[in-house]
Amino acid sequence: MYGNAQIDIKEKSKSLIEGEDPVKLAEFEARIIRGEKIEPKDWMPKAYRNQLIRMIEQHAHSEIIGALPEGTWITRAPGFRRKLALMAKVQDEVGHGQLLYSAAETLGKTRESMINDLINGKSKYSNVFNYPALTWGDTAIIAWLIDAGAIINQVTNSKGSYGPYCRALERICSEESFHLKYGHDNVVYLATGTAQQRELVQDALTRWWQPIMHFHGPPDKVSEHTEILMKWKVKMATNDEMRQRFLDEYVPKIWDLGLTIPDPNLKKNESTGQWEYTEPDWEEFKRVINGGGPCNKERLQVRRWAEERGAWVRRALMKPEQKYTVPLA
Amino acid sequence: MSINTGEMKDIKEFLYKIADDQLIIGHRNSEWTGLGPVLEEDIAFSSIAQDKIGQSLHIYEILHSMGEEVPDIIAFARKAKDFRCSHLTEYPIGEYDFSLMRNFFFNHAEHLRFEMLASSSLEPLANLAKKYKGEIKYHIMHSDTWVKQLGRANEESHTRMQSALDKTFNLALGIFEESDFADALREVKVFDGESVLQDKWFEEISSILDKAGLVIPERSKWVPSYGGRKGQHTEYLEPMLEEMGEVFRLDPKAEW
Amino acid sequence: MEYIDPRVNRMELPANDDGKEIIESLEEWETYEVFHQKKRGEQHIHVGIVHAANPEIALLMAKEAFGRRRQTANLWVVKTSAVTATDYEDQDIFETTPEKTYREASDYYCMDRIRKYQEEHGIEDRKEERRKKKEVRVK
Repeated sequence: MYGNAQIDIKEKSKSLIEGEDPVKLAEFEARIIRGEKIEPKDWMPKAYRNQLIRMIEQHAHSEIIGALPEGTWITRAPGFRRKLALMAKVQDEVGHGQLLYSAAETLGKTRESMINDLINGKSKYSNVFNYPALTWGDTAIIAWLIDAGAIINQVTNSKGSYGPYCRALERICSEESFHLKYGHDNVVYLATGTAQQRELVQDALTRWWQPIMHFHGPPDKVSEHTEILMKWKVKMATNDEMRQRFLDEYVPKIWDLGLTIPDPNLKKNESTGQWEYTEPDWEEFKRVINGGGPCNKERLQVRRWAEERGAWVRRALMKPEQKYTVPLA
Repeated sequence: MSINTGEMKDIKEFLYKIADDQLIIGHRNSEWTGLGPVLEEDIAFSSIAQDKIGQSLHIYEILHSMGEEVPDIIAFARKAKDFRCSHLTEYPIGEYDFSLMRNFFFNHAEHLRFEMLASSSLEPLANLAKKYKGEIKYHIMHSDTWVKQLGRANEESHTRMQSALDKTFNLALGIFEESDFADALREVKVFDGESVLQDKWFEEISSILDKAGLVIPERSKWVPSYGGRKGQHTEYLEPMLEEMGEVFRLDPKAEW
Repeated sequence: MEYIDPRVNRMELPANDDGKEIIESLEEWETYEVFHQKKRGEQHIHVGIVHAANPEIALLMAKEAFGRRRQTANLWVVKTSAVTATDYEDQDIFETTPEKTYREASDYYCMDRIRKYQEEHGIEDRKEERRKKKEVRVK
């Protein structure tokens, strides 16, 4: 479950292709234009490698951190059907983390250092998981609408240029389709259920609307960097394009259930085909992504708890002759 | 086979005990989801938890067909004193060594119980045993591998596994608490009884623990933790059930 | 502090601001490449990797990571370091030239020659027999 690539180039003034061999760069770009995938041991520009590592790693972190707000409801899920499905869903998220870390590893960063960077706050994850899942209604909304947003992003990215990431995303998308169905089913039962159930889901929607609008990230600044990353098929669509696709597909489905979206300005402009809405609070987005959200601290503490508790298992089976080899594909 | 009312009641009690064990240990194991020692193990352990809960659901469905409540009510709205699970399953997850050792003891007992049930005169039970043979076989492979490897890996892991064994052993013996109805079930060839099961279990776990370099307490120190089969539980069950039914009880008549 | 997550309340959460590396290098062990066979008789296909301390653990983990959601008859695990691969830079060694038709079945057609010989030597063509055989094969 992940929004969209955060274009976050450290040295903003520097060109992404500075110092690259022009012949190799031309071959690399020609391969992408021909629609061929880039494989791990191919020559690639440094900025391509770094941006992909950052992006895939953030995606992986989002999966394992995303397992926490929903995982907490496994012990409280009402009834066998929901309990088993939620277990399988959260298990899938952990599995997606596993697949994505593997894809990032092919670019030369070890899983150990990715997890260390997550816990020490050097590496981000999707902002939405810094909000709490307060009620059972929240888990339903997360499973439906956050996963829906993620699918839009993941389907788009699965057409990108880096082979291992595309392969991981294909499997992830097929599993996410169960999550989406499960989430929708869950919301439908609440929305068409008792007054109390309806209130649960409406409250959750109201709470989650802003994080959902934040999900695909702030409008992209038009820049040379963005253009190059799109040419390299690292970034496949702008954040606003993804958000429009999400709104177009899901707002009508939310309205079908008679639920109220807390934005009086939300409507489709029939002449442009675009959805109009109140810009969510992007200052809040920045504040939360930089550590100021209600759960940032807790999420990382829990992750650290898990790593520390598991250390003895991992260390017991380490052998001096083990050596790291970068995975092949 | 024709079953009289008394036997029917005994069979139900027997089924409750099996299913409650599976549900409670499955629920406990599910608490590790997202928190396991390594991602791959997190996935594997979640599958095992799902399997156990799925198996319990199947048995509650059999119970429902025998006139008991629907499975959701049985599992999510029953009082602690009506549960028949063993104390072993009720304990909080603790450290991973505890959870692994608990699972190891439980899996072997479950696997042997199901093996005995495969030849049960009661058809739904015999079918059940056959259906879950593969699932339980993997659970056994999983716990045996970890116990054998961690028992011998390094000093810390050995010490942890031995101390987890010492903590869990008497709890594990509680699985085999004999019920008042044991003779009746033996007579109608539904189940041969807990003491037969315990002997088989002991033989099986002894050989694995031996390979793991772990020591079983001497017989003189065995104090089985009984009571669970009669509805007398540890302090941990009630809060667990409280949490499990928290949403369901908001409105048990609602469809969730 | 009370968290909204009951599971978190049962943990003793560590402080989280010392910036130390929690996981040391190679603590997540080596990687194994996983090969999956769907049914007996089919090929094993590479599906991904697992981190594992040894082959036994690798199989145990691969079973759930790659077998839980798809039909499976058999799995292999192979240490990543044991795999030797060609270089993508050398992909051109696999390019073939259009002249290599001599190894294609479609390049062999000598019926004309046979017919001509049959006509010249008065051998009867088994056209009807061949047609019947073909029919049987199609059925």
